[in-house]
This record gives sequence, C-alpha cells and structure tokens, in this order.
Amino acid sequence: MTDTQPIVLNETIHQPTRLRIMTLLVSQPGPARLTYGFIQDNLSLTGGNLTTHLRKLEDANYLQITKEFHNNKPRTWIEATNTGRKAFADYYANLQKILNLNPKTSND
Amino acid sequence: MTNQTNLSPEASINTIHSTISQAQTSMYLAGTTSIFLIWGALSAIGFLADFAIANLASDFSDDNPWFRAPLWATIIVIGMIASSIVGSRASKQLADPSTARRTGLKVFAFWLTVGIAALTIPGLSGLWTAPDPGQHIAGVAIGIVALGHILFGLFTRIVISILGIGIAIAYYVPAHFAGDAAYPITAVLVLILVAASAIWLKKNGIQ
Repeated sequence: MTDTQPIVLNETIHQPTRLRIMTLLVSQPGPARLTYGFIQDNLSLTGGNLTTHLRKLEDANYLQITKEFHNNKPRTWIEATNTGRKAFADYYANLQKILNLNPKTSND
Repeated sequence: MTNQTNLSPEASINTIHSTISQAQTSMYLAGTTSIFLIWGALSAIGFLADFAIANLASDFSDDNPWFRAPLWATIIVIGMIASSIVGSRASKQLADPSTARRTGLKVFAFWLTVGIAALTIPGLSGLWTAPDPGQHIAGVAIGIVALGHILFGLFTRIVISILGIGIAIAYYVPAHFAGDAAYPITAVLVLILVAASAIWLKKNGIQ
C-alpha cells in the first residue's frame, strides 16, 4: 500500500454494534465461545437487533452460531471464525495506521 | 475511507477497549450477586454465633477462647466452597467451560489469598497467643477482608470497594462503641450492606 492509497476500513465490522460484537468474540483467548445471552446482556441489545447483526457477521463468515441443549434448555453459542479473527486484526491494524497517519484525529 | 457510520477511528479504538474491559468485568463478576448474599448470611451467622457463645456460654468461652478460630475457619471454608460452585455455574452460563475456568481460577485465587491471609496473618503476627486474642484477631481479619473487597472493586465495580469500606465500618464502629452488643449490630449491618450491594449489582446487569 502506498501513501496515496486510502486506508479502507472493513464496513462489515466498522459499525458500532458489530464492532462491539466482534470485539467481545475475538478478545476471548483461543477458540472460545460466548453465549447469546452474555453478548446480549453485555451490549444491552434487544434480541432482534442482536440477531440482525449476528446474521450479517455470519453471512461474512466472521462467526459461527451453534445451538445446543444443556439440561433440556436451548443455548446458543457464538464463536469467531479464523476468517473473522483475521478480518478483525486487519481492521484494528488499519485503525492504528489511520491514527498514526493523522495524529490530530486522536485529539478530536 | 468509506463507511456507513459516523464512528471515527479514535471512537472505534475506544469502543474496542471499553468493550474488552466490560466483558472482562462481567466474567470476573459472574455469580457475584448470589455470592455476596451467601457471604452476608454466613458472616451474620458467624457474628451471632460468636456473640451467643461468648454471652450464653460464657464458662465455655472463658475456658476455650480459641473457639473463634474453628468457628470462623469453618465459615470461611463453607463460603469458599459455596462461592466456587456458584461462580463456576454462573460463568458457564456466559462462556464455554475453558474460558469460564480461566477466569474463574483467577477470581478464586484472589479470594483464596484474601481468605488465607485473614486466617494466617493474625497467627503469624502472634495474635493467637496474645491476651484477649478474640478482638485483635477479628479486627485484623476484617481489615484484610475489607481490603480484599476494596482492591477487587477497583478492578471491577466500585460498589464492591464501597462494600469493603462498609464492612470495615460495620465492624470497627460497633466494636468501639457498642460493647457486648457489637457483634449483633455488625451482623445486621453486614446483612444490610450486602443486600444493598447485591440489589445494586443486579440492577446493573451483574448476575
């Protein structure tokens, strides 16, 4: 990438709710799964809103959704895929590049 | 740069960091509301039992002033086991077992250290054999437990630090001014403090 080329942020991730969902998932060490309820409670989202954003991330192959039964109760697990982890790492690197290229941004 | 939102790069970085911090706190506090109530009840039982033995069985307590050691050791062990079970079950509702275990072990190690310190520091500093050891040992142990809450709260939710200060006040003030009635007063104050903290945590989304 040359200096004249703009740094393009991944639009799928660069949306506040999806950014927070991906952050929750990739900040867990190793191949870790979180429950739907944990994500919903942590981000204070309605079920419909969370489901919509999860579907977009799943369509991009950034996460995997698994439904299981535990003590006869359904539980939905969400896990970042390797593709999702890499996309997030690239997104984060691009953010840092933008901030380094334009230090004034960090003072806004 | 093209995107659908007004999120600036700096705002994105801040969102990432605050989300990570919030998630870690939620993991560390899994089951805290129930654990607080367990410890509040156990502490109240301990103070009331201590008061009852000292006042209703004064011959026994005069001959065996060490009775407080097994009493409080039993309460601490029961509390640690109950907290571990509740915390483990709660964290498994949030994340898969390996992630939950990693977080749970850190929290368990922290409180185990506080518990062991509360039990051993009075002994290592010679208080077990000091004249009138009961008051001194309890005073040091409560101070260590309060400090544990203050430190844990600084890294999770400040209400836990406030609870730690409250526990210290609930013990030291009656101990200085209420004479023989100190322990029942402390028991009631601790129950009120713990219940208030549990309600606050529950209202703020901590289970």
